[in-house]
Amino acid sequence: MDNSMDIKINSGNNPIDSLSFLWIAIFSDGTKIEQIDGNGIEHRFQLVKDRFEDLVYFNLTDRKGHLFTVNLINGLIGYNKLEFPYIESKEKKENIRLIYFLRHRIEIGTEDLQEKSHTIEYHLGLQYLDKLGNNQKIILRIDSEGSFVIGE
Amino acid sequence: MAATHQWSESNGAEVVHDGIANINFGSNDSYNLVPATYPITRNTNSFCKYIRCKFTGSWTEISNMKFWKSNGEYKTDESISAGFNVAFATPTQDDQRVTGIGDTAVPTSEPSQNVNSFEGASTIVYGATGVSGYSAYVRLQTQTLVTTPSGAVNSKTMTFQFDET
Repeated sequence: MDNSMDIKINSGNNPIDSLSFLWIAIFSDGTKIEQIDGNGIEHRFQLVKDRFEDLVYFNLTDRKGHLFTVNLINGLIGYNKLEFPYIESKEKKENIRLIYFLRHRIEIGTEDLQEKSHTIEYHLGLQYLDKLGNNQKIILRIDSEGSFVIGE
Repeated sequence: MAATHQWSESNGAEVVHDGIANINFGSNDSYNLVPATYPITRNTNSFCKYIRCKFTGSWTEISNMKFWKSNGEYKTDESISAGFNVAFATPTQDDQRVTGIGDTAVPTSEPSQNVNSFEGASTIVYGATGVSGYSAYVRLQTQTLVTTPSGAVNSKTMTFQFDET
């Protein structure tokens, strides 16, 4: 499994430029993987998937100071270091798993000779088994400005 | 992660044109065509178009690909048909809704129908052996009737949606 991409930020036309949010994964041994590390190297999410068993925190942050955190130990989601109060923290959660993907919408038109908008919505959350053994999901849908809604 | 996307259209004997600017329909098998140059005669069809998406850059997995018409009103007796995950064939003006082809009206909201990879899988996995980075083809065609008003039709917007990790 490859560990990184030979893509450097700030070195020309780079697809990462279109992303508002970048992730940081923190593991139980204290190590972390940043989507863009200190050397400007981009890492693929596959590296996180390969270590899902050891993942304890998954952060999504932007340049405007928004910070979303998924706590894979207790099954909590935080925003700017505040835990969402509506997530029952006392409920026992088992088999907690990260949900993370980007949903792209790209438009093209007829007649007007122009490709239209490209929007990216970040889907971040977790799924777990509740005390009855039912699978539950909590997902935030975050737009490029950091506004979000909660869904399942 | 950070995939980049291009629209692509294939014409003739599957000559691939990446980075197309529009999907204008007309009475000619060409990409980025000018409708005024190749108008569709009433009661005929446009040449069908084989379009798909090309991914470059880097990602882990692209999945849940969907395609639909998201904007643009039809004129009277104007319609657009679509076939998903179809094999390429030299484009013609033959009606693609006939028995044996079976294209249907392009969805006008997010559909349940997924678009596959060009290789037929439900996902495009980065670095997987033999993966082209293309989605499967979506075949589109405009149909008109003798009762369709003359003049330009309304512009349409098509949306392609996909999930990326």
